[in-house]
Formats: sequence, structure tokens, C-alpha cells
Amino acid sequence: MSGYVEGIIILLFINGIAAMGVSLLTGFTGVFTLGHAGYMAIGAYTAAIMTVRFGIHWLPAIVAGGIIAMVLAYLIGVPTLRLMGDYYAIASIGLGESIRLVLENWQSFTRGARGYPGIDNYTTLTVAGAFFVVMALLMFYLIKSNFGRAFKACRDDYIAASLLGFNTARYRVLSLSISAFYCGVAGALMAGFLTFIQPVMFDLNKSTELTAVVVFGGLGSLSGSLIGTAVITLVTELFRPISQYRMLIYGAVMVIIMVARPEGIMGQHELGPRFIRSLFQKKNGPSKALEGSDGL
Amino acid sequence: MNETVLKLDHVNKYFGGVHAVQDMSFTLEKGELAGLIGPNGAGKTTIFNLITGVYDVDSGSILFEGTDITPYKTYEVVRKGIARTFQNLRLFPRSTVLENVMTACQQHYQYNFFEAATHMGRWKSLEGSIREQSMTLLERVGLEALAEQAAGTLPYGHQRRLEIARALSLQPRLLLLDEPAAGMNPDEVQDLNGLITKIHSDFGLTILVIEHHMELVMEICPHIVCMNFGAKIAEGDPDHIQNHPEILKAYLGEEVLEA
Amino acid sequence: MDTLVQQIINGLSLGSVYALIAVGYSLVYSILLFSNFAHGGFLVIGGYICYYTLAALGNNIWLSGLAAMVGAGVIAILVERLAYKPIRERTNVTLYLLIASMGMSIVIENVFVVTVGGRFRALPPVIPTDPVNFFGLATTSAFDLLSLAMAVIFLTALQLFLSKTKWGLAIRAASYDLRTSGLMGVNVNRLISIVFFVAGFLAAVGGIFLSVRYTLYPQLGFITIKAFVAAVIGGLGSLPGAVLGSLILGLAEMLTAGFISSQMRDLVVFGMLVLTLLWRPSGLLGKQVSEKV
Repeated sequence: MSGYVEGIIILLFINGIAAMGVSLLTGFTGVFTLGHAGYMAIGAYTAAIMTVRFGIHWLPAIVAGGIIAMVLAYLIGVPTLRLMGDYYAIASIGLGESIRLVLENWQSFTRGARGYPGIDNYTTLTVAGAFFVVMALLMFYLIKSNFGRAFKACRDDYIAASLLGFNTARYRVLSLSISAFYCGVAGALMAGFLTFIQPVMFDLNKSTELTAVVVFGGLGSLSGSLIGTAVITLVTELFRPISQYRMLIYGAVMVIIMVARPEGIMGQHELGPRFIRSLFQKKNGPSKALEGSDGL
Repeated sequence: MNETVLKLDHVNKYFGGVHAVQDMSFTLEKGELAGLIGPNGAGKTTIFNLITGVYDVDSGSILFEGTDITPYKTYEVVRKGIARTFQNLRLFPRSTVLENVMTACQQHYQYNFFEAATHMGRWKSLEGSIREQSMTLLERVGLEALAEQAAGTLPYGHQRRLEIARALSLQPRLLLLDEPAAGMNPDEVQDLNGLITKIHSDFGLTILVIEHHMELVMEICPHIVCMNFGAKIAEGDPDHIQNHPEILKAYLGEEVLEA
Repeated sequence: MDTLVQQIINGLSLGSVYALIAVGYSLVYSILLFSNFAHGGFLVIGGYICYYTLAALGNNIWLSGLAAMVGAGVIAILVERLAYKPIRERTNVTLYLLIASMGMSIVIENVFVVTVGGRFRALPPVIPTDPVNFFGLATTSAFDLLSLAMAVIFLTALQLFLSKTKWGLAIRAASYDLRTSGLMGVNVNRLISIVFFVAGFLAAVGGIFLSVRYTLYPQLGFITIKAFVAAVIGGLGSLPGAVLGSLILGLAEMLTAGFISSQMRDLVVFGMLVLTLLWRPSGLLGKQVSEKV
């Protein structure tokens, strides 16, 4: 397999892991975030500094990247997740940007805006693939469990959820923490793939890309988020010669989807035998069980 | 000997300058089927919200089975054994009927995060139990055939039954029904009467119903509390209530009374 | 002492520019109850229209300014009609509007990147920036005083519009309850268009002053984040709050830059945001909107 294709697949795995994290938080728990690139940055820098400066093996470094991102998210999340809707989105922008600013200004530790070079290329196809498979499996299982139902309840109607006995605050924080772990691991893998990282790689544009991918794939569909990641990553590669259009296209995609098909590619459904069968039942219309009716 | 299930003790609630609930006190014994009536804006739903912790009490206390639940958060109140339905329905419209009930049912079949993420351990057996219990409850309210349908696509009457089924799956000891007959025609109200009395006896619940449909309340509630402008204006059995001048005044107005 | 007064004036001047932006943003929020992240786009559009008309029409700031304001206003209406109207007609969920506005903001920014390029452009010196001696207390620039003055003029004009005209009354009614005002006979779609026009209009003024201060480039709209922060601090949906929050923010930024360091500026801004959201999410003057259960 050529190195180029291999690189794309690794990138798909990395972006896919981050997308699953954001999908859990935004698609399944209903918390709109525009700052998750910040958690990727934390994972990336943790892994970079641990491997380069302290000579620690990449496996614990990657896991540590995820854990530190998770802990930070938890600490920030407990107070800020009390905010609903727009307020949290704005706060998340501020938090993501603050992380980037701290990384840029803490020169002694992070080498600042110039970037952190010399990272070992530990993210091979096997490593990225293994992390992806394991984390995807865990996420799919989690969604199809009591926790998944709890997250969805918090998303659909937090008052009804609390009246079903759910401590909605705790579930939101849990969702945020897990999503930060995923983004942290993705960032750590990114560091080992690019061998050089800069804070600007994890700016608002990257955060927006993560959210766009989840929206595009369908809020409430994990497979949708992965499909969205695949599409966006591949399209980015295809458009590399005219990459200045890349962001323009993201933006346009987000707008068009919200106007034309807010439920995204997959809506709330997962890619599975049932969904594919329903596509062939077009004659009778997609079965009632698959379509909801809340005005969309 | 009957125990007190719910006791409101001089409860007050202000919304800014509005005294929404004034010095409210009443008691419900175990196994009662009671009604809470009053004109629109009287404060009935506010009482439900105060009991379930959606609003904070400004003064006074609320006791459930002897425990002071006044400072409790909503989810704590629910876990203690109180469930409620909503005037405007608060189902999860894009989830299936079965999922709606399972989401409530799982309160009593908890497994931990590790088991959830790996589908190992107790996941299989407890998920099975949740599903089974939920289907049983759907059968109780006659909705089992629609289990896989999206809740938002159900006709209104069925959605109301689903709300009730969901509340029941929490295995509450006190059930608060907020205008369960809203928007129903007389036939449907009769069906609902049947359903409420059936679950009252089958499950041995204490039930408090807010209602405007007098044919429901007078027929099935031996104990009625009437409110107006946030305060209790009368309490008693249907006969007592029907002849109470304050109530006639509240509903029909003073001039009619004079006439 | 000299520097303190200077920084205070700087802060008020910057804050007043933020106020123009924050007020437009808060106005939209008060009617539609969503954060229009594309607001920064209106700002940038104003800046670029001004730049190009200045070049084309020979440095007449009044004409160019007017063109910029009207142009941004019109484009704001178009954005609303194209992207937001179809969504708000279909659903109540503001999350979709939020995401669409984010997308729109990226589209606007990148349309400029792709067409005119991302380099920094300085506006021709049509707005005086010479130093002025401020009552013997400090030396400040004419620009700061001018931008402060213009902001005051526009905000006063807005206040008059809102309190003395029929549409102003309609807007105030709509900020309490959009649907009810519609039921009272207000043409809701036209009202929303007017609100967006005003938002775009004010953003353009802010954009012109910011372009002079920081030079013009497509990502200048990003500065709207600070206006968002200001609006949140002052209270989302409250116009006096937006002004108050902006002034506080401008002062905080300038005092930090002057007395601590320039790099800490942005951190202080976001720090204030997080603090406000933690301590008093409805802001200083915001209304507490509680959901009826």
C-alpha cells in the first residue's frame, strides 16, 4: 500500500475518533460545542512532551493525553455545563481559544507558537487502526445501553429527563468527559502522525470542522459521524490543490444541510441492515418507525 | 391504619410579585385517588412543580412518606418514588414508544459504565429485563402493537397513554397526573377514567389528578381539593365540593350566584 | 497617571466600537433568541465595501461609509432570508439556526479569502489619527475620540428609533414575544428583515473603525467574539447591557494591555466570559428567561 494512501487512512482513523467524541456530546447529548479542538491540542501536547522530553513510551503517552484532556474537561465542565444552548456554545469557543492561547504563550514548556517538532512517528496504520476499532466498539456499545438512553433523554428534554430520575447535570459532564478523552487520544495520535504540532492546528477552524462533520453525518447517528468524517477528509484531500476553498465548502455545507436536511445524511439512524432495508421500501415511504415527526 | 403519603404544610411560592401558591396545606393518605381542581392559573401545576422540585418552595414544607423532600432536586424526588405526567406531554418524540418506556424503566435495573461500554457482565440480562418490563407496561395500557413506532407520530390519545405508561414504569408510590384528559372527547374521558381506576387498584398507587373535566374528577375522586388564585378554597368529597359556594363563585362568577 | 487616563480613553473607544457590534448582535438575539455567529461577517462586509468604494470614489469617507452601512444591511437581510428564514419557519429548535449561522460566518469570511485574498489592507487615512491633547490630561488620538463620538451618535440614533418610531415599538414588543406581536398585526418577516438591516448597518460602522485600528482582513470578523462576550457580560438580549458590557470589556482589555501584557488581553477577555457565565449567566442587565413547565 503506498505511503500516501496509508497516510489518508491513518488520518481517517484519527479524525474518526475525534468525531465520535464530538458526536457523543453534540449528537447524542445535545450539547453544541465549538471548542473541542482544544482537547485535541491537550492530548497532542501531552503525548509530544511525554515522549520527546521525558522519553516515555507512546502507548501510555497517548492514553495520558486522553486522560489529561478528560480531567480538564471535567473540571471546566462541572461549572460551565449548567449553561444551556447558546451560552455553552459561546463558552466553549472561549475555552477552546483559551487553551490555544495558553499553549502559545507558555513558551518554556510548549515551545509556543513556533510549534513542537521532533515527535517520534509512532502512529502507524496498526496503531491508529487498533485505537479506532477499540474506541469505536466501546462507543457503539455505550450508545446502545442505559447510558445511551440517558444521554438522549438529556438531549431531547432535560426537564422530562430529570423527571425520569436522571441527574442531567451528571450525564452532561460524563458525556463531555468522554468526548474530551476521545479528542485527547485523537490529538495524541495526530502528534505521532505529523511528528510536528503547532497550537494553530487546533484552532476554531478545527473545532468547527469537528462539529460540521457531526452535523453533516447526522446528529444522533454514530455511523453518520464516521461517514461524515470520511467524506470531509477525502474531499479535503481531493481539494488539496484548491485548499483555500476548503473552509468555504465546510461553511456552505453546514448552511445547506441546516436549510435542506437538518437531520444530516443519516438522520438519527445508524447504518445497519434495518436502515438499508428501509431504503428499498421507498415505494411505501420509509417505514413509520424510522421517521419522527417533530416538525423537521 | 392509613399512613400519610403526601403532606403539604403551609407551602408558599412567589414568582416576583405574584403570590402563586398561598399557604397551601393538604394531606394525602396511602392509596387515595384525589383530585386537584380550580380555574386556569389557580396554581395547580405549580403545586406539582413544587412537589417534584422543578421549582423551589419559598416557605413551608413538603413531606413524602414522612421524609421532608422540600430541598430535594427533581431527580432525587423521582428516585424517592414520585412520578408525574405533563399537561403538554413531554415524550421523546423521535424515540420509539418502547424506548420511551425503557428509558424510564431502567431506573430500577441499573448496571454500571463498564458493563455498558463492553456489553459484558449484567448488560444482557438487565437489558432483557428492561425490555420485558417495558413491553408488559405497554400491554397494560394497550400500546404493545405500536412499540416500534416513533412516539411523535402517535395520535394524541395514545401519546397520553404512553406518558402514563412511562410514569408507571418508574414504579412510583405517588403518581401525579397533570390534566390527563386534556383535549379528549367524552368517550375518551370515560376510557381514561377506566384506565386510571384500573392502575389505581392494580398497582396500589396513591394518585393525585389535576383536571378540568369534572366528569372525570367527580366520578373517580373521593377526595377533592379546590384552588383559586393560589390558595385552597375548599376540600372534601364530590358532594361537598359541588355545593360549595366558594367554588361555584370561582367557576361561575359572583353574578351568577346572586341571580 | 498619564498612561492610566490614556488607557481609559483607549478602552472606552474600543469598547464603544464593540458596543456597536454587540448591540446589533443583542438585538437579533432578543427577537429570534439565537446567537447569530455570522454577525462578524456583516462587520467584514462593511469594511471591504468601504475599502473598495474609497478606492473607486476617491476617498470620500461619508459616501463610502454610507455605502458600507447600507450594503452590509442589505446583505444581512439576504443572509436572513436565504439561510435563517427557511429554518425558523420549519422548526423551533434554535440549535439549527446556530449551526447555520456558524456556517454562514465561515462562508462570508472565506468568500473574501477566495476572491480578494487574505492579506492585510490598510484603509487610506481618511479618518484622522493625529494625536490630540485631551484636556491637558493625556495625549490620545483623534481617531479614538472620533470613534467614541460616532458610536455615541449611532447608539443614540438607535435608541430614538426604538423608542420613538412605530417599527421601534414593534421591535420592542417582539423582543418580549415574537409570536404574540405577530398576532397583534406586526408583519413578522418584515420586522426581522428590519432588525437584520439595523444589525448589519451598525456592524458596518464598527467594521470601518476596526479596519482602521487593526487593518482590514477577512478574519477581522473574529473580533465579534469579543462583542459576543460583551453582550453576554451585559446580558444577552439587553441593549443597554450590550453597551455596558462592551465598555467594561474595552476597558479591561486596554488596561490589561497597558499594565500587564498584550498577550494576556485575550485571556482576560475569555476569563471574564467564563467568570460571568459561572457567577451570573444572565449577565449584568439581562432578563432571566425561565421555561414554563
